[in-house]
Parts: sequence; structure tokens; C-alpha cells
Amino acid sequence: MQEAVELNLTTLVVNKPVEQGKRVFVAALFVCAITSAALAGLLPLQVSIVTVFLFAGPHNWFELRYFITRLPVRFGRSRAFFMTAFIGVASLTVAYISLPFLYRTTGWSYEASLTAIALWNTLLLAWLTTLVFLRSKQKPRSDGTWVMPIAFALCAFNWLAPDLFGLMLVYVHPLIALWFLDRHLQRNRPHWVRAYRRSLLLVPLSVGLLVWQLWSTDSLAEDNGLFWRITQHSGAELLPQVSSHLLVSVHLFLEMLHYFVWLLALPLLGPFLIGRKARQNLLARFWELDSLPIARHPRGFPKTVAAMLLVGLAVVLLLWVGFSIDYATTRDVYFTVAIAHVIAEAPFLMKMLQVQ
Amino acid sequence: MKAVQFVACIVLLVFSGVLVRADIAKPKTTPQENKSLYTSMEVIPDAKATDARLQIRQSTLNDLRAALNGEPGNAVLASTITRSGTRTIIAGLLMFLSVSFGGVWLVRAFRSGQGLRRTEKIAAIALIAVATFGAAAIITRGNAGPPPTYRWRNLPTALAGGQSTYGPVILEIVPDDPNSSIGMKLTIPLKKQKPNGEDE
Repeated sequence: MQEAVELNLTTLVVNKPVEQGKRVFVAALFVCAITSAALAGLLPLQVSIVTVFLFAGPHNWFELRYFITRLPVRFGRSRAFFMTAFIGVASLTVAYISLPFLYRTTGWSYEASLTAIALWNTLLLAWLTTLVFLRSKQKPRSDGTWVMPIAFALCAFNWLAPDLFGLMLVYVHPLIALWFLDRHLQRNRPHWVRAYRRSLLLVPLSVGLLVWQLWSTDSLAEDNGLFWRITQHSGAELLPQVSSHLLVSVHLFLEMLHYFVWLLALPLLGPFLIGRKARQNLLARFWELDSLPIARHPRGFPKTVAAMLLVGLAVVLLLWVGFSIDYATTRDVYFTVAIAHVIAEAPFLMKMLQVQ
Repeated sequence: MKAVQFVACIVLLVFSGVLVRADIAKPKTTPQENKSLYTSMEVIPDAKATDARLQIRQSTLNDLRAALNGEPGNAVLASTITRSGTRTIIAGLLMFLSVSFGGVWLVRAFRSGQGLRRTEKIAAIALIAVATFGAAAIITRGNAGPPPTYRWRNLPTALAGGQSTYGPVILEIVPDDPNSSIGMKLTIPLKKQKPNGEDE
């Protein structure tokens, strides 16, 4: 009863600023989407270099922090789910990182390298399917069999064109951040969800505009190794009939939205309640450890969490130093190792979804 | 005398005309675009071979003929799928499993009397979208193929080691060159490498 009164009071207290905040949030989304599309269309290579330099490391740190926020103090019934998730993230990352080394040392043929990529993609899909099943088991009257036909269809596509499947991941991954934001708003700002979902129409509109404007443009110059790497990352090799200018611009636009969500939207729009108390400041402060249940709980691990975040901070600084010394090599290393955060998003997103 | 002056004037006029025309920029001739076809090639060093041999598949030749005649080629879906028999078989089996599981799931959903729930509807839409996207991607992939330098970068090492190298290639029909008697020319996009393995 007392809790209900507290919650109602909290709702009353925060109602007015929340409505004002909604307008600011939607306006920020519009500005961000339009600015990102304009910059990505006009100066794709230059903005890509600057964006990755500035935001790649910090956004990973914020993702780590967000995932820690979502970790329970005790796994309980979710033990199998989390163990599968952690083992999967670790082993898939190690396998992914070792692929280029194996390719170089063993002198695989092109066909053999494609088979290796297809195998890795299959393992990823199998792991995701297992997670969906484990998640559905936690919910009464839920049935996870719907995932099987989708997983097999994706596997089939992967075996037909493994490199295209990989490229699909490159383009889909930035969009996952928008899904995270949707779930986050449903939990913390349910009144904003409708406006947010409507404003998401800007994404296909902006992509459509970029396609319309850049479809017939000349491909970008690949006169140095760095530019070549950027165009290859966007799929210029796999989709030669599409202008690399368009590919890089679309990918960069999605990446910028991804960074916007992880660096601004999710950290600032924290929950209104910390434990059972109303948050004093409506804007979350990312340096406050008390907003992390695993650190705040009496049986939690505040020191471990603090150490993890500090190590993460050191890695971000190291990444900036690396980019300053040798941008191209650091970029290669980053995008290889960063597969870990791409994979890690899956179990945490699943935990936020209501499996029926 | 008058006749000489007249002739001299005519000659001067003609020469001045030539000089004036010499200053006019040469009309731009639009270069005729060479006919080209995207395909792939494998370079195989063979110690037992006595002659260098260039083998072209019948389907590639047909596409080349079509390109020469200005017709659209058909090296799309089929050539991509037949590139690797093993992968095609695996993909086929997986697609079979997908359709089978999808059918069983649909039947179960309807037999339960509840019809399709929201998640299941989303899954059905996603399945159709994936199938459509997959088909579109396969068709797109079928048209792919300019020479990425990466595939050819290990060619010297592979040749030295007696291993084959596989990569995309553009078959291009170029006009006859009267100064050259070479029938075919193969250009490999190889970049010089620094001692640390970086491309120059």
C-alpha cells in the first residue's frame, strides 16, 4: 500500500517535467536524424573517421554500464540463460577474432574462408535460438518454437551467401540500439513510446532520401588504405553495382543514430525510481553507482562493478591513444574486437522483451 | 603581277585559316565504353602442365556473348548457387527444415484455437521478410563482382607455394590494338607491401 502511494506520488511529481521532456526528446531525435543524414551524405569518409575516433570507445563503455544495470544480483531461475549468454559471447568473440589469423596462417582458399564464416554465423544463430528457448521457458504458457523456422531460414541464407549475411549484421546492428531505446522507454517513460515510434519514421525516410540523392553518384575514391577499409566495411566489395558513396553514407547514418542512443538517450533517460525512492534529478547521472542494482544491493558487488567500469574507461583512453598514433590499424582492431558488444546486445535485449 | 598577288593572298588566307583552326580545341570524342562482364577466376599453378590454359565455362561464355550483343546476361541466381555445391546442399537442407518447422508451428498455432498471437504474427512477417530479403540479396549477389584487391593480395605467395588463388575478375572486350600482337592481357590488382605487411 505504502509502495503504491509512493509510486503515485512519484508519478504526480514527475508528470509535468516528463511532458516537457517528451517534446525535447522528440526534437532532439529530429535534429539528430537530420544532422546525421546531412553529414553522412555530404562528407561520408571524413565524418566516419571523426565519428569512430570520438564515439566508438565511449559508446562501448556506456553499453557496458547499461548491461551491468540490467544484471540481477542473483541469477536465480535465469542462471541457465545468463551462463549460456556469457559462454556464447566469450566463445563466439574468440572464434571471430581468430578467423583472420587462421586465414593468414593456413592460406585457406576463398571457398574455405567462406565456409568458415558460414560456420561462425551458424553458431551465432544456434546460440541466439538457444537463448530464445531458455527465455521462453522462464515464462509460463510461452512457446519459443516460432524461432525455429526463422533460424533455419536465416541459416539457409547464410550458407548461400555468408559474406552477405555478415554485411546484413553490419547494417542491422545499429538498429538494435533503437529497439533497446524502445524497450527502455516502455519501462521508464511509457507516455513517450508513441511519440518515439512515430519519430522512428524518420529513419526510413532519411535512408530513402540518401538513396535517392546518392544512387547515381560516383563511388568514393579508395586512394589510401583507410578509405578502402571504410568502403569495404560498408560492403563496397560485395555490392559493386551500388555506389560506395551511398553505402558508406547509409551505414554512417545508422552508426550515428546508434551512437546517439547509447551516448545520449539511454544514459540521460534513466529510471524515475532508484530502488523504491524517486530519483532527485530527472536526468540520470552515469557516474552514480547507486543506479546499478548489482552495486546498490547489500549483497551486490560495488567494488567489482567499479573496477570493471574503470578498466573500461582505461580501454577507452587506450583506444583514443591508438587512434591518434595509427588510426587505420586501431580501427581494424576495434571493429574486430567490437564484435563482443554486438553479440552481447542479444541476451540483454531478450531479457527486456516479453516472450509470449 | 596582279595574278601573283592574288595567288599569294589566297595562300596567305588558306594558311591563316589553318592557323586559326589549329587554335580551336579538338572536338571531344566520347570514348566508346568497353563491353565488360563480372565473373570470377581461379589462378592455378600446375607443375605438370605443358601449356598455359584458359578455361571458360559455357555459361560464362554465353553471358559474354550476351554482353557483346548488348543483351542482359543471366549469370545471377544460378551461378551464385552453383559456385559451391556443398554450401548449396546445406542451404537447401536448412531451407527444407525451415519450411517444415514453419508448417508445423502454423498448424499447432491454429489447432490451439487461438490463431496467431502477436509475437507469432511478427515472426511470420519476419520469416516472409527474411525470405524476400534473402532472395533479393541472392539476386544482387549474382550480379556482383569487380576485382577487390584483397582477394588477390596473396597471389605471389600462393603462386610461389604452388597454391591456387580465387578472386573476382572482369572480362572486358577491348578494341584491337595494331601495335600489339598479344591476344589477351590479365591485370591483377596487386599493391606493393611494406615489410610489416601493410599495403603501400
